[in-house]
Amino acid sequence: MARLSLQVREALKRQVPKVAKKDLNREVRKAFKRTKNQMMKEFLQLPITQELLAGPESANISGTLRGVTNLFAFIGFDAGEKPVDIIIQALENTNIQFRKELKKGEKLGAEYSINLPTPEQIFAITPMPWALGRSWARGIESGISGLGFLLRKNNRGRSGRAIQSRVKVRGGAFKPTPYITAFLQKYKKKFECLEYKK
Amino acid sequence: MKEQFQHKVTTSFFMWFDNFLLTKGEAFSNKTGEFSYYEDARLDSTYKAYGSPFKTWVTDSSITGATIPTGVFINGNFSGRDDGVVLDFENGRALVSGSDEDLTVTGEFSVKDFNVYITNDTEDDLIVENKYKVNSRLPSASYGAISPYDDVVPAVFISTANSTNEPFAFGGIQNTSVQVKAVILAEDTYQLDGVLSIFMDSVNECITSIPMTGYPITELGDLKDGSYSYTGSEAGYTDNRKFYVDSVTTSKLTDRDRKSLAHEMYVGFIDFDIKQMRLRFT
Repeated sequence: MARLSLQVREALKRQVPKVAKKDLNREVRKAFKRTKNQMMKEFLQLPITQELLAGPESANISGTLRGVTNLFAFIGFDAGEKPVDIIIQALENTNIQFRKELKKGEKLGAEYSINLPTPEQIFAITPMPWALGRSWARGIESGISGLGFLLRKNNRGRSGRAIQSRVKVRGGAFKPTPYITAFLQKYKKKFECLEYKK
Repeated sequence: MKEQFQHKVTTSFFMWFDNFLLTKGEAFSNKTGEFSYYEDARLDSTYKAYGSPFKTWVTDSSITGATIPTGVFINGNFSGRDDGVVLDFENGRALVSGSDEDLTVTGEFSVKDFNVYITNDTEDDLIVENKYKVNSRLPSASYGAISPYDDVVPAVFISTANSTNEPFAFGGIQNTSVQVKAVILAEDTYQLDGVLSIFMDSVNECITSIPMTGYPITELGDLKDGSYSYTGSEAGYTDNRKFYVDSVTTSKLTDRDRKSLAHEMYVGFIDFDIKQMRLRFT
């Protein structure tokens, strides 16, 4: 078999990493997309998300209010509001970016950064409808008073549901439940472990 | 039951909060005036109650410019604790021993712009359900004595919401986090913005851990040792591990929602995250 000329061999040597890099990049992005899709799907399936998405007529499927009223009315959202949309949007904006190449001997690698939102960023975009400096998403985790519910009731039930309730709903009725912080921690770990080996 | 961590947090935070507001905001006004007699069925028959129109009086002598009374003038003569007078700072009154109900009692004192209360009430109770007497500072034709025991606004209601322990270091050190919530009921936006601003800037402050025995008020509302200064009390507990204010969030009840309330107060919220690294059960 004829030997390739030195020039051809040098040219191939230069091209191989480029091809491998392209391949690696494609596979990493594929793995990222897979995890991101899984994250979106899981977020939409969380009972709290589902209950809030269902609006003022929802049952308390999250169990946070022991079946009395529902989160949408309890927090005091107006009928027609879609409080979870902003979180979905923030999660949708999660992206991957190539940062630098990594080389170790013959091995080829790359470093990427992923801009998954932090819990603090989510808390900043989820204001309580009655006190804009407070976050309802944080409140789900640490506790929410029945103030929003009572205010809406006094205010002819803008949530469309609060006015109908004859049950006295109290802040003490709310059971704090892990939500954004635990969810993002889980996916931060998953994204950190994104690995592609060939 | 002996004192636990949660008791210490509550006492220390309450004393720090009161002092911080009075110091940073100079949130008090000095008053001179006549006290009026009123009947108080809860009171021991040894005493007659002569109330001022305002409460709560400032107790902390470390507050520059505040008048901390040591007695009152009865028919023009000064009478102090040694003469059988009890100063009920919390209810803004002097308890005079004896049976006279027609004494002329006058005095000087400083009244807090914001009363500070520890509460177990929920925010909905505090803001929507409860009725309050207003400690208005506006001049009016005649002042009567303010009724005792009821909470008076403007006020800040403090409650500890929830606490968590997270492992922090080898040897069992925990990072204990206590969420403290404060609800502010103010007469106007100037007052409300003032309180919110002061405590927004309280982030990174250290709070001396003071045990319940360090709380200065007796069951009659007077000072345990005849005088009290927060800085003096702090100095007695410098060896105790301090708490620190890790984060503070302030917010106001939206105007739209405020209008649906039965009262005219302006409502604000302060959410503190207070932390301390500690061994359990210390």
